[in-house]
Parts: sequence; C-alpha cells; structure tokens
Amino acid sequence: MLEVDAITTRYGAITALHDASLEVRSGELVALVGPNGAGKTTLLNTVAGLLRPATGSVRFDGNDITGSEPARLVRAGLALVPEHRRIFKDLTVEENLRLGGSTASTADRRVRLDEAAELFPVLRSKWTTSAGFLSGGEAQQLAVARALMSNPRLLLLDEPTLGLAPTMVDVVFDLLQRLREQGRTLLVVEQNATRVLGIADRGYLLRTGRVIATGTGVELAADTSLFDSFIGGEA
Amino acid sequence: MGGFSVGLVRFTRSTLASAALVAIVAALAMAYTSGGGASRESLIAEMLSNFILVLGMQVFIGNTGVLSFGHMAFAQIAAYATAVVGIPLAAKAKALPDIPFGLESIHYGPLGATLFAVLVTVIIGGLFGIAVSRASGLAPTMITLAALFVVEQLVKNWKELTRGAGGLSGIPRLEGNGWLWAGAFLALVIAHFFQETRIGRFAIATREDELAAPALGIRLFSSRWAAWTVSMGLIALGGSLRAQSLGSVNPKQFTLDSGILILVMLVVGGMRSISGAVLGTVLITAGNELFRQLGDPQRLDIERFPDLFLGGTMLLVMLMRPGGLLGDRDLAGWLRRRMYRRPLPSGETPQHGVNTLTATDIEVRFGGFVALDGAGLTVRPGEVVGLIGPNGAGKTTLFNVITGIVHEQGGRVTLGEQDLSESKPVDIARAGLARTFQNLRLFKNLSVRENVALTALVAARHRPHRVRPDADTLLDDAGLSEWADRQAGTLDYGNQRRLELARAAALAPDFLLLDEPTSGMSDQESLAMVESVRSVAARVGAGVLVIDHDLGFITRISDHIVVLNEGRILAEGTPAEVRSNPLVAAAYLGSSA
Amino acid sequence: MTKLIQTIVDGLGVGSTYALLALGISLIFGVMHLVNFAHGELITVGAYTSYFFFLHGGSWWWMPLAIIGSAVLASVATELIAFRWVRNSSPFTLLLTSFALERLSHAFWQIAVSPKQRAFPKPEWVFNQFKIASVSFEVMDVVTIAVTALTLALTAVIFKRTLFGISVRGAAEDFDAARLMGVRANRVISGAFAFAGFLAGVAATLILMRSPAAEPSMGSDWLLKAVIAAVIGGLGSFSGAVVGGLVLGLLETLTRAYLPEVAVGWDKFSTAIVFVLIAVFFVVRPDGIFKISHAERV
Repeated sequence: MLEVDAITTRYGAITALHDASLEVRSGELVALVGPNGAGKTTLLNTVAGLLRPATGSVRFDGNDITGSEPARLVRAGLALVPEHRRIFKDLTVEENLRLGGSTASTADRRVRLDEAAELFPVLRSKWTTSAGFLSGGEAQQLAVARALMSNPRLLLLDEPTLGLAPTMVDVVFDLLQRLREQGRTLLVVEQNATRVLGIADRGYLLRTGRVIATGTGVELAADTSLFDSFIGGEA
Repeated sequence: MGGFSVGLVRFTRSTLASAALVAIVAALAMAYTSGGGASRESLIAEMLSNFILVLGMQVFIGNTGVLSFGHMAFAQIAAYATAVVGIPLAAKAKALPDIPFGLESIHYGPLGATLFAVLVTVIIGGLFGIAVSRASGLAPTMITLAALFVVEQLVKNWKELTRGAGGLSGIPRLEGNGWLWAGAFLALVIAHFFQETRIGRFAIATREDELAAPALGIRLFSSRWAAWTVSMGLIALGGSLRAQSLGSVNPKQFTLDSGILILVMLVVGGMRSISGAVLGTVLITAGNELFRQLGDPQRLDIERFPDLFLGGTMLLVMLMRPGGLLGDRDLAGWLRRRMYRRPLPSGETPQHGVNTLTATDIEVRFGGFVALDGAGLTVRPGEVVGLIGPNGAGKTTLFNVITGIVHEQGGRVTLGEQDLSESKPVDIARAGLARTFQNLRLFKNLSVRENVALTALVAARHRPHRVRPDADTLLDDAGLSEWADRQAGTLDYGNQRRLELARAAALAPDFLLLDEPTSGMSDQESLAMVESVRSVAARVGAGVLVIDHDLGFITRISDHIVVLNEGRILAEGTPAEVRSNPLVAAAYLGSSA
Repeated sequence: MTKLIQTIVDGLGVGSTYALLALGISLIFGVMHLVNFAHGELITVGAYTSYFFFLHGGSWWWMPLAIIGSAVLASVATELIAFRWVRNSSPFTLLLTSFALERLSHAFWQIAVSPKQRAFPKPEWVFNQFKIASVSFEVMDVVTIAVTALTLALTAVIFKRTLFGISVRGAAEDFDAARLMGVRANRVISGAFAFAGFLAGVAATLILMRSPAAEPSMGSDWLLKAVIAAVIGGLGSFSGAVVGGLVLGLLETLTRAYLPEVAVGWDKFSTAIVFVLIAVFFVVRPDGIFKISHAERV
C-alpha cells in the first residue's frame, strides 16, 4: 500500500534522512523504532506531505504522492496523528472532530461523529469542552479520533504513548489492536520499542537518518543487541 | 591603554567610512547642481536632511530590528524647539506672546539652537525610550505610534508654545548647504561608531536572536535603550537642521507620511547597513524628484505621481529583495575586515572555577502535566555530567529551569554560594552558566568571529576574575579559524554547532550547558564533537552539563551520567554503571505489557 | 446623568466601528501573522464605490450591498496580488508590504479620481433625533450599535457553527495541523481575507452614512485606531478585538467630554492623554488584554 523509496529529507543545514526506504502492505501494523533524533518523525512528516524530500519518492496505492499537499492525501485515505498530538486547544472536542472530518460529506461526517462517540466514551463526556482542558490520555484519544474522521485506510501515528501514564499506554495499545481489527493499515512510530514490536507484523529500526535493520516484529524484538543499536558503536 | 588604542582604531574606521560615503554623494550632488538652479540646491538640502533623519531611524531600527513609526514625532519636537529659541526675540514676542518656560528672553544662533533642540529631544525621547525598551513583541511599535498622536495633538493645541496649526516662521535660514553637509557627515560618523561600540554590538545581537542574546549575558533593555537614545540625537539633528533650512515649522512637516518616506529610504537600501541607508536615500530622493517632474502638468500630467513611485518601490522591494538592495553589505564592514589585527594570546593556564552547580528537588508543572517531580543533580567544577532519558522525560525542562527560562514551582538552583532560583537568564549567564540551544540559535547574519567576540565582550566586564581567551583562540580550538570572517548562517551544520559551542565558551563560564549538541549529526561527526567539547571546555576551565540522545557520545564524554525518566531521577553513575543498568534499558526500550 | 448616557452611547457608537475593523485585523493576524495596514483602504474602496454609484443614480436602500461587495472583492484581491507572495516572510516584511499597498492605494485614488474630497448624499434619517426620558439620541447611533451587534452575532455563529469558521480558527492556532486535517491552506486564507473584507464593508457603511465623502487617505486614521484597538485587546483574539474597540471608543469620548471638568483647559489634549494611557498600558501588558499564548520552542 505504501512504498517509501530512498528518500533524503533536509531541514536547513541538517540531512535528517539518508536514503531511507520502507514499505507497508495492506492490513499490516508496521513499527518504526529507534533512538531520538533518528529521523522517525521526519519520515512520517515526509510521507504525510508536510516535508518535501530532496530525492526519492513516496507511493501510495501505486500513485506517486511525493511532496503532495497533505490535504490531497487525506482525501486519498492517508491520515497522520502527529507527534505531540497537536489538537486544537482553542476548539472544543466536537469542533476538533468536525475539522478532522472536513473532507467528508455532511452525512458521512455525522455518522462518523457518532462512531467516534461510541469508540471513545471518555470524549463523549467532554463533547463541548475546550480541548485545552483534556488530560494527556484524553488528548491522545482525541487526536486519534480526529484522524479517524477522514476514514483513512492508512493511519500514521507518531509516538502515540508520549507522556502518558502506564494505564493510558495500555488503552492506546488496545486502540491500535482495535483499529487493526477494523481493517485499517497502521504505521506506528513508538518509543516503547519492545511493546510495539510485540504487536507489529514487521518493523524498521532507524538511526541517524538511516534504516539499519528490518524484520518481523518477533525477529526484531528478540534481537538482544537492540539496545546496543540504540547506543551505537563501541563504548 | 589597550582600550584607548582600540577605540581610536574604531573611530578612525568610522570616520573613514563616513568620509568615503560623503565624498561619493558629494560628487553626485556636484554633478547635479552644476546643471544650475536654486531649486537643485534646495533638493540637495532636502536630501541631506533626509539623510540625517534616515540615519536616525537606522540607528534604532537597523540595530535592534524593532520597527518604529514614531521617530518623526521627535523630529517634530526638535524642529519646534529650534524655532522657539531661534526666532529673533522681537518676532517671537509677536508670534508667541504667552510663551511659557521663560523662553521669551532666550535666543540662540544656529549652533546654539541646534544643540538646544538636540538636548531637549534626547531628554524627552530618552524618557519615552524607557517605555519602548521595556515592552516586548509588537508593543514597542505601537508605543511609537502612540507618540505620533500625542505629539501631533500637543503641537496643534498648545498654542502658547507652538502657535497651533499656523506654525512658526522667521527662523534665520542657513546660508548654503554647508551646515547640512557637516550634519550629514557627523550623523554618519555617529551611526558608524555606534555599531562599533560595545552596547551597539549588543543591540545588534538582540536583533539577531532575542532569546540567545540574554542567555549569553546581554541585557535586552539597556542595549535597546542606548540605540533609541542615540537615534533620538540624530533625529533631532535632522529635524533641527531641516527647520533651519526651510526657515519655518508647521504641524504638517513631520507626519506619518513623511515617516513612511524615510522608512522607504531606509528599507530600500537595506536597513542593517549604513551604506544601504545612504544608497536608499539617494535613490528615493532622485526617483521622487524624477516622478514629480514627470507628473508635471507639462509632461504626463499625473498628480501625486511620486506617491505611486514610493508605494510601488516599497512593494517591489518587499516582494523581491526584503533585505534591501545591499542587504548586509556595508562599506564599514569591508573596512573592518581589512583593518583587523589579531590580539596577542594571553598564555595563561585556566583554572577550574571553584563553584559547584546544584539543582535540588525541582518541581515543574505545566497546567495539569507534571514535567519535573523532585529532580535534581550536581555538577562539580571541571566535571562533565551527561543528562539522558527518553523523550518527554523532562531533560530540556530541567535545563530551562537551571538557565532561568522556565520558573520552577519548587526546589532550588545554586551555583556555589549564589542562589539562582529566581534569577533571569541574563543574570544567570553573567554568573557563569553559558548554554547552547537544541534548535541552534546563532547570530546568523553576523560573522563567525563576531558571534564569539560578543560573548567575550560580556565576559570582559562580568567575568574579569576568570581567564578569558580571545575569540580567535577559541575559534582555533573549535576548528573554525578558516571561516572567521564568513556569515555564521553560511556554515555547514556541524560547524554551526561547533560555533555555538565556542560562543558559549567565550563567556568564560563556570559551566557549559549543552542542549543536544550532536542532534542531526552522523556517527563520525559526533565523535569529532567529543574532541571539540573537550578542548573548548579545557581552554576556559569550565565544567559541562550536556543533554543528548546519542548515548555513544554521552558515554564517551561524561564522567558521570544522570538518567531522567518521567520527571524523576531513575539512575546515575559512571557510564559503565549506567549502561549495564537494566532499568535504564527498560526505560529506553520500554517493557512488554 | 443625561450627559453620561449620551457620552457612553457616543462612545459605543465610535467603539463599534473600531471593533468591526479591529476584528478584521485580528482575523488576518490569526491566520497569517500579518498586521494589515492596508485594511483601512477597504473603507476608501467602499467610499469611492458609493460615489461612483451615486453619480449614476444610486440609493441608500441597496448601497450597503455595493459597499460590502466592493470591500470583500478588494480584500481578496490584495491577498492574491501581494500577501500570498510574502506568506512565510518575517513580520517586518509582511508589515511593510501592507504599508506599500496602503501607499499605492492612496496614490491610485489621487490619480484615478482626485486628491480632493468627493461628497455624495447621505440618508435622510441619519441625524434625526428622538428622546427617551429626557435623553436625546441620534438615530444613527442606535443604528450603528444595532448593526454592529448583529454583525458580531453573525460572526460568532459563523465561526462557531460553520466548518469554514472552525477551519479558520484551527488554522490560526496551528496551521500545519489544520493542513493535516485536509484543510486547504489557500482557501482558508482567502476566506479569512474575504470575511475581514465583509467586516470592513459593514464598518464603511456605518462610517459613510454619517459622513458621506470619499477622499484618498481617509482610511488611514481609522486604520491606526483599529490596529491599536486590536493590539490592546490582544492580537488574534476575537473577544479582544471587540473589547479593545469598545474600550478605545469609550476612552476617547469620555476623556473629551469629562476632561474639562477634571482639568480645566486640558480638553484640547484629550487625544494626547488617551495615547499616553495606551503607551503606559503597552508597557504593563505588552500582549494585550486577552493574551494569545503561543509558546516558543527553545
């Protein structure tokens, strides 16, 4: 479904990604792990159209989407839940969701609002509250719910458990499973490498902008030198 | 002794650059006026007084980056001040019978009137400048706008002093343009010299980066206020000379409109460069006159054609070359590079400071989110401490608390005997903590050497007790000597990081606080960074507290490592201890459900 | 007491106009971080539109529509011609671009029509008065306050209920996040300019009913006050713009009315005093009354 082919992305003077490639097949949950500054967020942002790669290409369902406007990608069925969630704090929960569904027809949007209320009961209880007052866990749920409003076939999630308490982390991982069961394809960047590799079909390990390892979730998780890969080099 | 000769060199440079510019303009002016006609002479007079006004605005706007619309208000004050002491007593008694402040018996010649006007304006403007310099964001610009309204109404309605809307005439007119040329030259010298002074250079640093400058010990308020006050002097000179050139003053002379004209002159050439300001003035004056003649009833017969020219020029410049025609290029800068002599190295061996940096029980909450929950650490003199932890653990927040950018709800930060918990970033820097930034905050438009030299200036006054290597020595240590004269923004990424390091070290701090110095670097570059940090820190005898995600870099460089997780200290110890600690691995990799 | 009520009504009348203009300025600032000094020129556009239509047999029954329409078109045009090209530049560049447009607009009307004022008829009922309990009101004052209140209510509905309004508010808070929602950048910005044009058009109608004349630089004075009102309220804040406008209007009329009683002979300095107060306010609260905090990442 998604093919990332040797992309190199720059931020001013830094080259954040060097010839990075990966692929995500329909129905899979693919994990993207690695230490901070490895370029995981840069990769997701490049796929989602917020950044333009200097070289390389990104294809979605066979169509070249390199450098497309995010708005176009949302309409094609690709949505990103960004790092730090980036919910609209000045808007209410409902307004956030409606905005997420802005590319859908009014009828579809209404249906999906109801679905969101069902899937996320905690949001239903805060429907007209300003999103700025939500707790970390609630905000994360809102961010995912908001992305679901466009009914994406491919959902990208950037560090969904960042800053969450352990119980909320559980909730998020349950959510990921449920989204899989719905038939959605997921590409997840996660700090909690061990856990996400435990539920992933396949994974990629990124370090200093390069893909240095890939395999099934089981293979990567069993790799005891994983921590050394994080640290890099000899002591 | 050394200070005096340095000052002399700077003064000579300023005078040379000013003389060169004046000579060029004078040559152009002579060519123009040789065509004959009194109207040409008066155009030159208008251009010269515009020059001085433009330079007045350049000294503030160009050096601080803060936009001011209100400068014309102070030119207005100067013009009226000139009028009330310049008009001969008899005429004055008739025009202003009720003049206050005992001014009915005061009369000065041209020199005296000018000095009086400058003095009055600098005092009033200086007081006003306190408000402008204290405010932040858009507020200073709004305050200068307010000044326009205030002065306009005062001038129109304080009839005893100003005769209201009718204005005042009868100021003895200057003969020829000699005074104006002298004024222009003086203004140029002052504008050039200001950029060479300590406080002028500090103002320029605040223009480049409002956050980084205080973090290196440069106080925002004083440098802005100094730039404002000097600009008041020049603006007053311009206003006074214009009044004496025309022989009269009225409320319509210095309106927002004329302010915009001057602003366009400043912006077209490039507001950061004095040569640019001169170029802009010549071009706009010439263009303005050209379009006025074209719009003459005998030719194209378009009224107010120059306004079209002004608006169009400004729009074009903004759309295509917002930095102005010259950008940062400046005759003075060129001279500075040619006339640079490297100071002799001092040869002293640095000692470590004696102060220990301690953060104890720090608590920080952002709304409902607890960022730090009783975290703390200690860095001993000369020690290198690495601060690590997963994303969101609170490392940068702890840094920001120590450097005064974020206020803690609980806990203390001390450096030796000094309690820094409530201090502002500028004072913390002066106390001996110099930091670098995760997002790299170099003074991009300034040279590599100037970035470092600025901090060295701060150290010279506020850290005299420490060994202070000069900028060039530090650049050598950081491997940046060959780019010393290049603009900092043009360096490649690794060198930019090293420059930030050298800049912080120039403060001769007790401790260097480095925020992700290897972010975005490859493995080789990180290795090289270990060496750079070590040599720079050794040169100034500083200890180091460093955050980074590259654990290889951290283990190589640190004597002691502190691991933060979820706002609390998870573990600490030597690199080997931390590396083999299963809790640390779990924190980074996570654990199964 | 009578005088107080009348002064307050006056102040609210003037303040309403400031509020409408300030709202337009805050709206554009929210989506583009631009303080639009060309905003006042929309009033000028409305004025010359009226002048033109009245020359060819116009009537105040439908003139408001023409004024508002021309303001909307002009506003969208400025975005297409100029502001779109400097979208990601420094605040300084944005500000000076808007200045350049203001200058060009002045020059244009001077050349295309005349530097002199051109007048046209006013509605007959404008200066009619009526009394309520010994306090006399002008019809125009009441109309101004009523129309403004209606417009503000309409604005609130649009920005809280419609998808367009929600998109603009979202984009103002986090432009990139809005793009990720499928919001199209150009549409949101053009839409914001169009709506700001609508608000300016309503303000222009109210201004022109009272003083029906077109003059090339008439927009500038209104603009400066509107900018100050928007900044007092807090740039980017809707309620701030409204409060800022009303406060400025009341401050002006109250000082003009009561200053002579407090300090004899000082009434001619009322504007000066208002602006000194404003300057002091900015020192104490540089971000305005309703601060929109956008934490800067270090």
